[in-house]
Amino acid sequence: MKLLSYYIIIILFGTACSSEKDDYVPIVPENKKLEFTIPANFPNPSYNVSLNPPTEKGFELGKKLFYDGRLSSDGVISCGFCHIQDFAFTHHTHIVSHGVDGALGTRNAQPLHNLAFMKEFTWDGAARHLDLQPIIPITAEVEMNETFSSIIKKLEEKPEYVQLFAAAFENQKINSENILKALSQFMIMMISSNSKYDKIERNEGSVFTDNEAAGFELFKSKCASCHAGTLFTDQSYRNNGLAVDPLYNDIGRNRVTGLAEDMHKFKVPTLRNVELTFPYMHDGRLKTLDDVLNHYSDGVVDSETLEPLFKNQSGTLGIPMTTEEKQQIIAFLKTLTDDNFLNDDRFSEF
Amino acid sequence: MKKFTIIIFTFLLVASCKNDDGGSSEPTFGNITLDFKNTIDNNGIELTTDIYTNGSGEIYKISELKYIISNVVLIKANGEEFKYPVDEGYFLINEEVVDSKNISLADIPSGEYTKIKFGIGVDQSKYPLNGMANFIPTAEESGMLWSWSAGYKFIKFEGTFGTSDSPFLIHVGSHGTALDNYKEVTLDLPSTLTISASKSQEVAVNADIAKIFDSTNTHSLVTKSDVQVDPVLAPQIAENISTMFSVTSVTN
Repeated sequence: MKLLSYYIIIILFGTACSSEKDDYVPIVPENKKLEFTIPANFPNPSYNVSLNPPTEKGFELGKKLFYDGRLSSDGVISCGFCHIQDFAFTHHTHIVSHGVDGALGTRNAQPLHNLAFMKEFTWDGAARHLDLQPIIPITAEVEMNETFSSIIKKLEEKPEYVQLFAAAFENQKINSENILKALSQFMIMMISSNSKYDKIERNEGSVFTDNEAAGFELFKSKCASCHAGTLFTDQSYRNNGLAVDPLYNDIGRNRVTGLAEDMHKFKVPTLRNVELTFPYMHDGRLKTLDDVLNHYSDGVVDSETLEPLFKNQSGTLGIPMTTEEKQQIIAFLKTLTDDNFLNDDRFSEF
Repeated sequence: MKKFTIIIFTFLLVASCKNDDGGSSEPTFGNITLDFKNTIDNNGIELTTDIYTNGSGEIYKISELKYIISNVVLIKANGEEFKYPVDEGYFLINEEVVDSKNISLADIPSGEYTKIKFGIGVDQSKYPLNGMANFIPTAEESGMLWSWSAGYKFIKFEGTFGTSDSPFLIHVGSHGTALDNYKEVTLDLPSTLTISASKSQEVAVNADIAKIFDSTNTHSLVTKSDVQVDPVLAPQIAENISTMFSVTSVTN
């Protein structure tokens, strides 16, 4: 009863000053907060979730935008076009990303998961915040080739978007900030943390096979200095000894920093779901995991910025591995596949 | 106890409606316009036609001049600051567009201000608290986004130089997290800016464009005519740019 009188008073308080009659108040459905749960074996997120807390409507909006071709100039290429869930949100079998009017990009679409835990984005770290990353593919001529003003106009014409923006954001506006925040709300919820590896790391009853266990030991000694921690990346930029492809002549992180020392360096990618994210490398030049390990054992090419870890005392380059060791490492890498995530309806287009 | 709370609430209820009787203690607000003028040798610049000479003795013509002004702060003699709201706080000065050079700032608390501070570019390190996302459409339309990078060009300065009219191109912005070329300048106002209710004042800001080449550092176009994401020259030019502004007059 006491509570009730408080409520009445609060309501009176709220209405007491509304002198303008017939104020139009849009009916905004209740927008529940979504739980952002950090997996027990994960570090704290880099994304400040409190500044853009995911909500039911914000997530729904973000997902709708993610799968909407309106974000591109030809109305066809959505984010989801190159980031397909079945392949951990990569562009299956495509070496480099495809854009509007058949345009080809120069880099391989990266998997999307655990993005809330990443500090910088894209192969060269051009985006320093997850909210800002979509600006790159949206505006790039060879990707979605669209402008934000045009997207805003297109969305304003669709009543379902007007309603969703109103429901998702306090200021109810369709603007670039809210577009980017909605996309982030969708993307930060995309957490892949239920692979066999995770279940073992969290002592949930799974066990490695002998082959996987041997692979894990090899991985720790041969790969984990870069593919570190539970995210399987130390998030640094390194030159892993790929010969420069004259077709792209991709200078890597140097494009962002202009520093000579960053020439041909690319972000160390996460290896979660790596079984499905083929083809591999920043330009998708390697088709299989065998190819990747063969590159590291026998294909590393020297250059001024080559990662020093690949320079062996004996003068050879790369990571010495036997054929058997490679198979064991691959067996381990396959324990990073997270079927729950790949089949999670929350993230599916349909 | 319950009764007492209700009495207090009722009192508050009555008191809360009193804000429309215009008591003298109510804060008041005024507006100002910042009039930017891009000059060389104290004359307004003429795009594509006028020929200038920089400190390295190189002749040049300007075809495009744009820069971003942000984070405007007005400062009182006692150091008290009024920060213009970030959500409305990004402006593109485009030499070609007359209106763009007059920045209107509304709802500034009344008072006497002696200094102005503003940023050149976008303080990207403060994202998402810097309200910059809604500046994307404007920046994009005027070519102030680096297409491959989720970053802004803080200044775009282009033209031709030398007797053969070779192109020059100077784009300065921040280089990811590796290098921040965002600069803030604090300028003394030549006379006190008095903001009072419903009044509009003008503050004339001069931008001495010649200083882009010649100020703290000297930049020669023969040495480098294309400066983009240059870890050595871009910060030098950014430093020069931060010295090019002065307030020439305050019209109360």
